[in-house]
Amino acid sequence: MVDALQEAHRILVERGVFVDARPDSRVSARVRAGSAHGRVVGTIGTQRPTKTDDQMSDRAIRDVLCRKLFRSRRHGRLWHAIPFEDFAELNDYLSDHLRFSRRVHWQAPAARRTTPLFVERAVRFEILQKRS
Amino acid sequence: MSATADAGRLLPGGLGFLRPPAEIELGAYGLDLRGLRVADIGAGEGRVALGAARDAASVLAVDPDRGALARGRAEAKRQGLSNVKFSEGAAQSLRLPDASFDVVVFSWTL
Repeated sequence: MVDALQEAHRILVERGVFVDARPDSRVSARVRAGSAHGRVVGTIGTQRPTKTDDQMSDRAIRDVLCRKLFRSRRHGRLWHAIPFEDFAELNDYLSDHLRFSRRVHWQAPAARRTTPLFVERAVRFEILQKRS
Repeated sequence: MSATADAGRLLPGGLGFLRPPAEIELGAYGLDLRGLRVADIGAGEGRVALGAARDAASVLAVDPDRGALARGRAEAKRQGLSNVKFSEGAAQSLRLPDASFDVVVFSWTL
């Protein structure tokens, strides 16, 4: 990972901008019922190995900042919603997902879990600037 | 699952439909790409690269997956984008000159 960041640094002009964007495993994905803005009825965590990978990526970013290859300009988070027609489709999606946990942690009774369902996942981004 | 949702509006599925549409992601970055040279490393089918090419002077999409690059090229042609190029390569060893880009994007790459 650090190799890739060093390559990014090399091909950038002075004061060039580097963007790193990745799914954010620090927060659980939300499951909304009925619409993309519907009630949150459950959450989905991240598998442990993926969390470890994400932490290594975070560490690589911290490393290049500490080595003063880049300076941090800005960071933030956006949310992205993926629609599912019903529970079966969501379960199929989760059954072979490499990132999400296999099961939804439901927070609402079944009667309130109206379809379609929307999985709203967090994407974290960091904007860095190349230092001279 | 055949679409992606943005603010309650359903958009047709397509490249990287399980990820945010490029305009949403690029908009969140808040960067003005006009006139800039952009490299999208780990570009896959070019979801972000194609979005960036609407504003940037030029975009280079790099990925090790030849199939994904071919699909990206086809999509660029379909969209009439002539300022985006697709090149095979790995993020750890880019065959690109020093100081040749204004912006480098790693989206779902690290």
